[in-house]
Amino acid sequence: MSGISRKRGFGAAQIILFLSIAILVVVVAVPVLLIFFNAFWVNGTFNVRDVLRIIGEPDTWQALVNSLIIAAGTTIGSTIVGTFFAWLVTRTDLPCRRFMKGMFMVPFMLPSFIGALAWKMLLSPRAGFINRFFMVHFGLSGPIFNIYSYAGIMLVEVMYLFPFVFIQVCGALERMDPTLEESARISGAGLFTITRKITIPLVLPSILSGALLIMLYSMAHFGTVAVLGIENGIFNIPTLIYQRIHQSAGSFASIRTGTVLATVLVVTAAFIIWLQGKILSKGHYQIIAGKSFRPMELKLRALRLPLFLFCTVWIGFTILLPTAVIFLVGGLKTYGLAFTWENLSLDNYKFILFRYRVTRDAIWNSVTLGLAAALITMFAGVMISWVIVKMKVRGKGILEFLGMLPFSVPGSVIALGVILAWSGKYGVNLYNTVWIILVAYIARYMAFSLRANSAALEQVHDSLVEAARVSGATMWQALKDIVLPLVRPGMLAAFFLIFLPALRELTVSIMLYAPTTRTIGVAIYTLNEDGETVMSAALAGIALIIIVTGQLLVDRFIGRKNAG
Amino acid sequence: MRSTRIAVALILGLTLILAGAQAAAAKERLIIYTSMKESLIGGIVEGFNKLHPDVAVDYQSAGAGKLMAKIAAERESGKVLADIIWTSEVPDFYSMKQEGILEKYETPLIKEILNPFDDYDGHFTAARLGTLGIAINTDLIKTPPAQWSDLFKPEYKGAFGIADPALSGTSYMSVALLEKQFGWEFFDKLRANEARIGKGSGQVVDDTASGELAASLAVDYITNDKIARGAHIALYYPPELLMAPSPIAIFKGSPNIEAAKKFVDYLLSEEAQTLIAGEGTLSVRTDVKNPPQFMLPDASDILNRAIKIDYIQMMASKEALIKKFTDTLQGRK
Repeated sequence: MSGISRKRGFGAAQIILFLSIAILVVVVAVPVLLIFFNAFWVNGTFNVRDVLRIIGEPDTWQALVNSLIIAAGTTIGSTIVGTFFAWLVTRTDLPCRRFMKGMFMVPFMLPSFIGALAWKMLLSPRAGFINRFFMVHFGLSGPIFNIYSYAGIMLVEVMYLFPFVFIQVCGALERMDPTLEESARISGAGLFTITRKITIPLVLPSILSGALLIMLYSMAHFGTVAVLGIENGIFNIPTLIYQRIHQSAGSFASIRTGTVLATVLVVTAAFIIWLQGKILSKGHYQIIAGKSFRPMELKLRALRLPLFLFCTVWIGFTILLPTAVIFLVGGLKTYGLAFTWENLSLDNYKFILFRYRVTRDAIWNSVTLGLAAALITMFAGVMISWVIVKMKVRGKGILEFLGMLPFSVPGSVIALGVILAWSGKYGVNLYNTVWIILVAYIARYMAFSLRANSAALEQVHDSLVEAARVSGATMWQALKDIVLPLVRPGMLAAFFLIFLPALRELTVSIMLYAPTTRTIGVAIYTLNEDGETVMSAALAGIALIIIVTGQLLVDRFIGRKNAG
Repeated sequence: MRSTRIAVALILGLTLILAGAQAAAAKERLIIYTSMKESLIGGIVEGFNKLHPDVAVDYQSAGAGKLMAKIAAERESGKVLADIIWTSEVPDFYSMKQEGILEKYETPLIKEILNPFDDYDGHFTAARLGTLGIAINTDLIKTPPAQWSDLFKPEYKGAFGIADPALSGTSYMSVALLEKQFGWEFFDKLRANEARIGKGSGQVVDDTASGELAASLAVDYITNDKIARGAHIALYYPPELLMAPSPIAIFKGSPNIEAAKKFVDYLLSEEAQTLIAGEGTLSVRTDVKNPPQFMLPDASDILNRAIKIDYIQMMASKEALIKKFTDTLQGRK
């Protein structure tokens, strides 16, 4: 009896393994390999000299350095901010903690390029509202802060990326078994020692995993640098690829240059992933172990009010102010007019929602694409993560690498890879349809899903599945009744991590859109690029409403399910 | 596992919706790639639809550089999606003609319009005469510019913008024309006065309206559209006139050739050209008058006043010109 069920379980595992490999190969490996192929293979011969020449060019080198500087600054800043706030809302007696926690998740919803647009309106050197306010009222001759700078780009990225760390660390702190800390305290350890020896080592994998997400994201991030950097000649690799491809009017030579530049990023990312593996393998913790208590709270005492004020000001500056600016500018007749009643109206919003087919199409496309990509990727992700985390098979490192690969490839290059793979040369032609965007989204967001699901699966101790199997459950039963319920938070996290970014996605869709397949991001970006600042702000405002509504609906749905 | 079932149902539902959207899009459509902004192309497509309700029209409005990139990618994939291209980057049309991807169509209306191309042979037809001038923010600059050399004055220091010629066809044309007329010295002097490279041709005008720039090299109808909406800007033309014709062409192999020809003829008709003139740019028809509020140069005079250039020569030097311009203005040469 046990022999049969064991055999059947092995069969299920085989199927899962095969499916996982098939999905990643078709969706991720083929496009990326085509990029490498096009980078190195010219007119039927292997060519490395050209590749080295392109990397050695001063522009390319500078862009690589910029990518690293911006990514490093953003990562350090976001990690500090994210960890600090996570600790504040989970482990201290900060007032309104639940509310604060919700608010700190909000920037995660806000598209960073909409944030960049808002901050451009607030802090552009001559016309920015804040800068002009200081110049007019305090007689300053120049701007107090120029957003078109490295510091400006990093600041905006930190504001909108720190939730990657925040969410991870909050989760880890909440899930952590408090008895570990309690035992240390009973054994006489002080708060500092407990934090250093127990808490930090336990949440370190989460911090690092969040930091790694930010590092990879920022390195390959297009929107903020495109909005704030290009004008002052600050390019990172993705914006340089974008510029190169447009400069040469998309000739094949420049598409090749793009693929070469992307190769540099892919290699760097592979290095970071390898490094992370090294760091994490030093200490491996399975920190969910059956029972749980409320962790102890630190009394902030005199710092309670100042820290509360600090959080409030932070929220005001990163969420309320940019949002208000977006909505106000969206109401203006034309950019540059003062915010007076006669200049403000709802005309732009009406035009965008009811009269302008481009924006109506865009909203519809983004919502359906986002849902489809999130659901497909969530299920594929949990399956592949299970192979990576729980199955003891050879070569699963390749799976992890494949899954994480799209993270390090700028969206524009994933888009190029997808064009190369799915435009009819190999039998399937999806070009200029929504399907090609969907395929690209799945490739791009698989890494999000793998991260979230692996993190959840890593904390499910093998003993739980073993116990079920010993009690006679088949592999499927053990998965369905034990593992799936435990990783559901991870799956939901994956859904959020994909659906909301996909809703306002820009980098991929801007390379793939056809007249009827614009996304919200494309519509906002192209309106902004066309100098229709007020229209793009109005659409951004509508996008924010859709995104927040979507988030609230999902929250409600989950809340009800947990209760029931 | 109710939630799983719901999710699966959702996926299926979405797939059907997306498939439905695709099926709807598969109906015969005329697709136009154009660098004209919404304010110009929107009304024209609306007018065409009234006249030919049987032809559905989709258009993609983006900078000429972007559109050419898209076309290149599409050619790489085997099929150009667009039936029609209408931008202001004239050399692109010469190179597309050379590569043999344009359908020849000698419109019967050619006799009625101003034709800026001496070598006209039906591969492309000018449908608008775009002009570029200096747009100033009237709050920041009080004396209107009269000469191109006024841009070297201190009031323009660090606050004059030109759209990125890699993205904008009109900007590329202007850079080439200004270089032809004044030489590189002109751009060296602009650099000395800290002129800036903006992004698209629309954005520099918007930046001028917001006060981020005091002035910019601006396309006529984009500027006039913002003036009509109340922006504090004004457009001035120095004597050496920058004129970039906007040709329209049909792609070879378009499945909708007849509809495409109808669109070209509609665009050259008095009705569409009146719409064009009404947006504040120059019509190619002599029988269409410019509304006086736009202060545009006179259409019949424009071909004489405009700086002349050899488009075929421009074609070869495009990348080098853009690179030299960018390097010059960013001080990297």
